[in-house]
Amino acid sequence: MTTRRKFLGASAALAAVTAPTVDALAQAVTAKSAFDQSGLVGKLEGPTQVTTIPSSFKEAPQLGELVKAGKLPPVASRLPAEPLVLKPLESIGRYGGTWRRAFIGPSDGENGNRIMASDKLLFWDPTGSKIVPSVAKSHELSADGKTTTLFLRKGMKWSDGAPFTADDFVFWFEDLYGNKDIVPSPIPDMSAGGKPGRLVKIDETTVQFQFDNPNYLFPSLLAGDTLIGGGQAVRQSNGNTYAAYAPAHYLKQFLPKYSSEAEVNRRAREAGFDNWVRMLHVRKDWQLNPELPTLGPWKTVRPINTPTWAMDRNPYYYVVDTEGNQLPYIDKVIMSLAENIEVVNLKAMAGEFDLQERHIDLAKLPVILENRDRGKYDVHLDLAYNGADTTLHINMNHTADAEVGKWLGTADFRRALSLGIDRDQLNETFWLGLATPGSTAPAEVMPESPGPEWRKKWSVLDIAQANRMLDGLGLTKKDSEGYRVRTDNGQRLVIQLTAVKAFMDWPAHAQMIAQQWRKIGIYGDVKEQERGLAFQRASAGDHHILVWTNGGTELLYLYPLWALPVSTANGSYGPETARWYASNGAQGTKPSDPHMLRALELFRSAAAQKEEERNKTAQEIWKIMVDQQFHIGVCGQSPALMGVRLASRRLGNIPGRVCIAQHCRTPGSSHPSTWYYKS
Amino acid sequence: MIAFITRRLLLGVLTVWLISVLSFVIIQLPPGDFVDAYIAQLSASGSQVSAAEADSLRHLYGLGEPFYVQYGKWLARIITGDFGESMEWRRPVTEVIGDRIWLTLLLSFAALLLTWSLALPIGIFSAVRQYSFADYAFTLIGFIGIAVPNFLLALVIMYFSFVWFGTSVGGLFSAEMTLAPWSLAKVWDLMKHLPLPALILALGGTAQLIRIMRANLLDELRRPYVVTARAKGLSETRVIVKYPVRAALNPFASNIAYLFPYLVSGSIIVSIVLGLPTVGPLLVKALVAQDMFLAGTIVLLLGVMTVVGTFISDLVLMWVDPRIRHQMD
Repeated sequence: MTTRRKFLGASAALAAVTAPTVDALAQAVTAKSAFDQSGLVGKLEGPTQVTTIPSSFKEAPQLGELVKAGKLPPVASRLPAEPLVLKPLESIGRYGGTWRRAFIGPSDGENGNRIMASDKLLFWDPTGSKIVPSVAKSHELSADGKTTTLFLRKGMKWSDGAPFTADDFVFWFEDLYGNKDIVPSPIPDMSAGGKPGRLVKIDETTVQFQFDNPNYLFPSLLAGDTLIGGGQAVRQSNGNTYAAYAPAHYLKQFLPKYSSEAEVNRRAREAGFDNWVRMLHVRKDWQLNPELPTLGPWKTVRPINTPTWAMDRNPYYYVVDTEGNQLPYIDKVIMSLAENIEVVNLKAMAGEFDLQERHIDLAKLPVILENRDRGKYDVHLDLAYNGADTTLHINMNHTADAEVGKWLGTADFRRALSLGIDRDQLNETFWLGLATPGSTAPAEVMPESPGPEWRKKWSVLDIAQANRMLDGLGLTKKDSEGYRVRTDNGQRLVIQLTAVKAFMDWPAHAQMIAQQWRKIGIYGDVKEQERGLAFQRASAGDHHILVWTNGGTELLYLYPLWALPVSTANGSYGPETARWYASNGAQGTKPSDPHMLRALELFRSAAAQKEEERNKTAQEIWKIMVDQQFHIGVCGQSPALMGVRLASRRLGNIPGRVCIAQHCRTPGSSHPSTWYYKS
Repeated sequence: MIAFITRRLLLGVLTVWLISVLSFVIIQLPPGDFVDAYIAQLSASGSQVSAAEADSLRHLYGLGEPFYVQYGKWLARIITGDFGESMEWRRPVTEVIGDRIWLTLLLSFAALLLTWSLALPIGIFSAVRQYSFADYAFTLIGFIGIAVPNFLLALVIMYFSFVWFGTSVGGLFSAEMTLAPWSLAKVWDLMKHLPLPALILALGGTAQLIRIMRANLLDELRRPYVVTARAKGLSETRVIVKYPVRAALNPFASNIAYLFPYLVSGSIIVSIVLGLPTVGPLLVKALVAQDMFLAGTIVLLLGVMTVVGTFISDLVLMWVDPRIRHQMD
């Protein structure tokens, strides 16, 4: 208790903006006992799925009235024969209330998508470690790994009451995914061993994904935040058309196949769109179209492109609690548009939002803690699993400057850069000491972790060794200021750090790293760039090193984007290699580095491996990536990205800690539909 | 007279056209386009877009075409009153701006009225009572007002209102009212939120206007005609208000040209800081996202307002100042 008081005292002192207390706070929090006693990092928990189906069902009062008025069928016939049953974390909730929350504009669709994540076919349990049923009541992977069968819930309905059946999958596969105007190129998720797969209806409630080669990874892809498994909310908004199913009965009217191209184009122009494709992309987007049938707990009533994005309960939601109450408990979700992130933080501290973790700034933690009682909220810190919130992604194919390209392509040079970083100083300064310093490898609890020694490998401060390695490479000459010079023209060797101010103040991180590199004689030049420009230049391979997170790589196969050059969407490690891999060797250039080649070969072979073997392969890949330092990790496993959660004290069933990870769709896997207002 | 007005009108149309070309060029200048900005945004939130998809998006938005083709299409549509669709908001540009324009104008008008009603009397007073204690006091406050950027003022006020009252100032409505349909209660809610941002916006301008008014009036007060008026035995108030103040108002009239665009975008930084749903932050976001049609339309709107403002200020000047009228004849 004393520790807790000390901790709170320290945070209160910090609010008075006295610099030395930052250290005090950091020390108080990082000391293991204080961390536990502070009550800020709770137990990883959440609602659990049970198999016993309640004998009768209940519903929200306003839905009951609609039923009485004859405007809505009774609850028992709105629910599937086998609804998903959740045992709420603490207790059965009560109906009612409005969840107030902030979003920052039409680009912030993920804010709502994640709340709707139970529209995924398969999902993860609240700890993020086990695949559980979701829209599909179960799945079956054939022994040869070539087919994955999904069993749907009999009698399940869309939010407009129309039946949700296997035909909605066939419609997606044939009419949407198969239409080049809508989906221009097939996605890697839908192929195995380089051959495209098929989605086939077996009967009304059974569908099968069939591949010509073993694809043991596929159920994980269906559960992960992938193009095929992401769910309707995220994968059919923003011009995307993935996610394996779609409301056929509603979307058919927008397709030429069911009338004619002239007819749909005419209707598109009448509605103010250039052509039918533009209209379809808006009509099938749940953020924009309140009429769209969906499966999630709430549905849009005021679209995202207005100052208030509002949602009402879905009367056909397929989930109930253990007493048969149809979820969600909370009536409405109202997101108000904030013009900037500072306003979100300030309003959250004033208690104007009921649960907010998105856009909350870790650096403000002391002030957030100080205002807990006034704003009537609890603070939870949710720790991530990925290795590094701040990662130096190295372009190993840099060609514009041959000398720089040569060094960035040299493992010992990258290792020396990594050994020259004082991670503890960065941790104290930017994470309030709350992060774990180390390499890019994921937390040890993850099944793909190569082991604790790989968290440290080449990733601790060792200036003497870094200098020895750089000297050994022949970079012995230095200029008058002590910086190493290039071997080609005797000028100072300048390594550019491209940084974007986004989820964290990465330019400031880069600045500190550049200062630390003085001691190893490396001149780091921080280039702060606007996000779009930085990414565009990175995908063209113009950059030296891009500073960004590696969030998502804790499950390497589901989200390899920030670990390996496997997709042309990210050229950070060398766009030519990415193009080579993504095109199966048809385009781009084969990497000359045998270690990179080996890592990519291992990655490609993994889909055909069963889970245990696949995890071993991932460990092998991580060992290569860390040993070769394809990317340099700084600090991770922190609450910096969406992990500072402010929850109103009026809310019940709020987990002490939620899984924050790409695949958990934070806070989706904690099932916001089970949260309720106590008063 | 008619010839003069016609000439000004024609020049105005030409200027607006030049502005439209320029604004389109400027928006196209930064490398990349909306799709790049969009992909960056998506990848930041954990989605990814393949090269083929990016191409199809570009095709969908007509971004692959050369600049002059895109401009031509845009202009042809504008003439028919169709300003295109905002790529980011995925709604017609007119609707997106329409959502915010009335609040913007309301806020700016309130700020403007406050500025004038404070600045004119104080300016006159300072000039007439030059070097008095009150003049020094207003001068001091005025210089502070000019020196402190109003976004800083906004931050300070936000901080104290949060610390003292535990409320946030952000926005123009309280959370419960944002969604409510227009009613007396909502208007009242707006009225409660309006004074603070209006005051913050008004302060900088007030200080400037006080200085301008004081300096102009001081010039005029020493003119022989003022002495003449006094000698004729006119009351002091009448002497000052009827003659030198009128002459000193000239710069105000010519200022109208800048007032018009200010009404729409003068509050950009303050609006961003205070989280006000006005057009300013919309323009900034549109530029960052390279949302061409939205940014282009706002820039064009600002241009048109400047041109219209200049035209009106010419007319007002002619009306206020007989000397200008006579030059024309």
